[in-house]
Amino acid sequence: MTQQTKLGLGFMGPAIVIVVLLFLAPVLLTGFFSFTNMSTATGISGGTYRITESVLNRLPADQVRPDVIVSLSESQFVVDEAGLEAMRAEGLDPAFIEELAERHGAEVFTSGDDLEDAMKDLDNRPRSIRVIKGAVDMFERSLRDRDFAEEAAFTAALDDAVVDLTDNERVVIVQAAYSGWTMTTSNFSRLWSTPQTGQVIINTLFYVGMTLLLFNVGFALVLAITTTFLPAGQSAFFRAIWFLPRISPSVLYVLLWKWLAWDTGFINAVLGQFGMAGRNWMLDTTANAWVFVILINGFVGASMGMIIFTSAIRAIPKPLFYAAQVDGASRWQQVRFIILPQLVWPLLFVSTYQTLSLLTSFEYILLSTEGGPGSTTEVWSLSAYQTALSNYAGNLQYGYGATMALVLVAIGVAASLLFLRLFNFKHLVSRPRIEQ
Amino acid sequence: MEDGKRTWHIATILGIASVPLIIMYLFLVIDTVTDTTAGSPIPDRFTFEHWRFLWQRIDGRQSIWLVTMNTFIFAASTTVLVLAISSTAAYALSRLNMPFRRFFLAGILVLHGFPTITLIIAIFLILNMIGLYNTLIGVILVKAALELPLGIWIMKGFYDSVPWEIEMAGIQDGASRFMVWRVLVLPQVAPGILALGVFSFLAGWSEYILPQVLAPNANVQVLSVYLAGLIADDLNPDFNLFKSVGLFYMVPVVIFYLFFQKHLMNIYGGGTKG
Amino acid sequence: MQITLDKFTKRFGDVTVVEDMDLTVGKGEMVALLGESGCGKSTTLFAVCGIYRVDGGRILFGDRDVTRLSSQERNVGVVFQSFALYPHMTVAQNIGFPLRVQKKPQAEIDAKVREIAALVRIENLLDRRPGQLSGGQQQRVALARALIRRPAILLLDEPLANLDAKLRLDMRAEIRRLQQETGTTAILVTHDQVEAMSMCDRVAIMDRGKIVQFAPPRAMYDKPANTFVAGFLGSPPISFLDGRAENGRFVAEASGVDLPLPSHLASLESGRPIGIGIRSEFLDPSSTATVSGKISFIEAQGREDLYYLQLPDGKVVRGIQDAAHSAQLGDAVSWGVNTEAMLVFDADGNTL
Repeated sequence: MTQQTKLGLGFMGPAIVIVVLLFLAPVLLTGFFSFTNMSTATGISGGTYRITESVLNRLPADQVRPDVIVSLSESQFVVDEAGLEAMRAEGLDPAFIEELAERHGAEVFTSGDDLEDAMKDLDNRPRSIRVIKGAVDMFERSLRDRDFAEEAAFTAALDDAVVDLTDNERVVIVQAAYSGWTMTTSNFSRLWSTPQTGQVIINTLFYVGMTLLLFNVGFALVLAITTTFLPAGQSAFFRAIWFLPRISPSVLYVLLWKWLAWDTGFINAVLGQFGMAGRNWMLDTTANAWVFVILINGFVGASMGMIIFTSAIRAIPKPLFYAAQVDGASRWQQVRFIILPQLVWPLLFVSTYQTLSLLTSFEYILLSTEGGPGSTTEVWSLSAYQTALSNYAGNLQYGYGATMALVLVAIGVAASLLFLRLFNFKHLVSRPRIEQ
Repeated sequence: MEDGKRTWHIATILGIASVPLIIMYLFLVIDTVTDTTAGSPIPDRFTFEHWRFLWQRIDGRQSIWLVTMNTFIFAASTTVLVLAISSTAAYALSRLNMPFRRFFLAGILVLHGFPTITLIIAIFLILNMIGLYNTLIGVILVKAALELPLGIWIMKGFYDSVPWEIEMAGIQDGASRFMVWRVLVLPQVAPGILALGVFSFLAGWSEYILPQVLAPNANVQVLSVYLAGLIADDLNPDFNLFKSVGLFYMVPVVIFYLFFQKHLMNIYGGGTKG
Repeated sequence: MQITLDKFTKRFGDVTVVEDMDLTVGKGEMVALLGESGCGKSTTLFAVCGIYRVDGGRILFGDRDVTRLSSQERNVGVVFQSFALYPHMTVAQNIGFPLRVQKKPQAEIDAKVREIAALVRIENLLDRRPGQLSGGQQQRVALARALIRRPAILLLDEPLANLDAKLRLDMRAEIRRLQQETGTTAILVTHDQVEAMSMCDRVAIMDRGKIVQFAPPRAMYDKPANTFVAGFLGSPPISFLDGRAENGRFVAEASGVDLPLPSHLASLESGRPIGIGIRSEFLDPSSTATVSGKISFIEAQGREDLYYLQLPDGKVVRGIQDAAHSAQLGDAVSWGVNTEAMLVFDADGNTL
């Protein structure tokens, strides 16, 4: 290995580790998680096996016989060899053990108290009640509300408790009793069949389309072109004003809009001077909510297009404009015939880039309407976020949320590959000129 | 093109469109030092009362200085990580012959346009699994990682513009490639390091979603989460207080921006923010 | 130290830029690699200094095989076309950098820097930065940096291309002086024949990755190996005519040219297709062998004028005459040619 290969790999090392751990792994794991039913209830590490009330309620539907369910639900104390062995290991009086085996061997008690009474009737019983209670516990064979960490242990206990279990019943019960997450494709069918999905898609398309058209491309273009015709001082002023939202922390920026639009906000204060009643302009109607969602995102988004278009316009040789003016071209003709043809690629770039960005980002909506009122301004990315990471119900559905995110990840990967094609990749990989 | 024709109508139209922004940012400053009678849009009293958060806690929340410190640690550590890793990795990509170079380059190119926020659910679960959930270090790592492809991309651009002859001269003078990088090349990309550093710092300073999702615990609260919490909890919002905290929060941003405007414009132009 | 290239081959991907090149530069000699851009001359230079890996053959410094050695191990001083000064360092730091790499004590570095700065005459510039220097001064700094380690070998890649015309004359002499004073073996890469011929002991003309001719400048000018070399060297450029040998004469009917061949070629068999080359200074009024045509263009060059003589078939012969010469544009004239000096080529373009 040459010196520069070693240095190169050494220099790349940390980047590779971080990228693999926090980029590649998340992309792959988003795919993986979307095939699980992971949620707050299942936890994210493994679960345990446990027969609970809700498990028992589910079993009849899965063709488990009623008497099996009864024996699962009952507490059971069986005087078996394992229990006797445990007593011997505890060092209890052998005579007591012998007598218990003789009189009650293989007998099944449905409560601990019954077994305790039976032990108290024995001749060789220990004097201490505490010891007897301890002995009773050694024969407990009921499954109800007991945790098993391993599947094997649970199955064994199951077979002890119910002698004539069929194979099908065993599988069904083990599955139902598992409290951790499992692999499933139900997220996809659920996403497909939920009516809300359609509404969220419509919301998303509306949000992305309107914001992009009106602001991120539309108004950005207007800003870039008009400021070209303004005197330097004025154009610098407007560019600075429209750049402010981009450099403002998102929380503060949205706070300012809230101050403008809320019940006690500026708009109401002004309208109040004319005797109009106050209202929450941001959230009182669906239409208003949409207006603000688009304004808030658009006022931020316009600046990126503005910068890119402006620099593209600046790259146009000045003599072209002089020549056009000499030829008597009006301002509009200059825009139409000189500026716009130069902006084809920047327009394409900004459109794709911003589409992707609007599709995936939800920060401003989360901070302003949170998808409300109701879920009328709920878009896909926000919906994924709320499903998996933040909702009022408290049951965070990581698996289902990951399924929703997977759609966006797939779009992101596709778009990134598109960028790879748009950029001249060949040019970027020009060979290093020092070879040794 | 300023062509001597009158441009007042253009300025007027732009001015009208900019009214919301002008009002919002103007009152962001004014409202922090004035009081306004309820129902009136115009402030009528001068006061420093809204800055009380500087010396007392608001509603039993943490001291602003502790939160500011957290934010600074978060932003600064992210910046250091991003700078250290991008300035080495980008050099390797730009200048060094190594196996898989094409592959790495394509990877960075794909990633620097990738919408990272879509990964937040998986990242949340990963941090939980490796025990970094609710720690500042976890958020720092994630933020740095998500910033990295853009950082490497930007630094690569700067390295690409350093003349090859400088490096050739360096190795002819007997220096190792490492020394060439450290002594000869790094100083040439100082503007890039500065720009990326400022950009990363501001990005970290302003970040909201990551700390909110990955470290909601109050011990490691940063300013964005603090401010969001302040607004969210209040039924009868005290906007003057919020704005004062907000202005306090934004001061470093404005200062940095004024000083490094040109560099930042370039990066924001290709940036990732919606 | 002698430099030997032995069957040196260099490829970039599928393209072979230099193939099986043999070249020996003697100790203390200065050799020019001359050719159009893309002929492989810079590639050869970069292989000699170790920036490029060698794909075939060997490179020897003296008896030492350096083919697989890294640049750092070769101890070669290089002056780049762009000078490649380190912009963030002062002149003194630039010049001292090779010694700093060797971890020499600062006092020793300072002393050596002053010594070499005196040699290239920039003692008063040591505290400046490269950005504050003129092109010629930068050139001197680059030379000083290349020479401070007393390298056995000095490589110069188009060192004068970035300088304006007047400065080039000065630096040509200056570089030659330094090379001779330090006794360094040097290779100069250039596309400028005047530079190559005026500065170097020998010139290697390269075309498409091969050395076409390797000889001292004078010998190469007088006896070019083929039409390529003849056409490359000399300004104004040589004029070629195609025809055949006929009883010891060169005949080109279409051009209306019939000249005696130089005496050593008088016995060339008749009917053989040949070509001749007439340099503009070969016109000789006293000669009886003449070419006839019409003057189609006159370039005033000061002391003398350059005339374009258009032959009947449109071919052009260029000739230099005293400015006092009275021919006018459009005049029909017959000019005598010094046929002994005339260059004669076979059908493949090789000199006979």
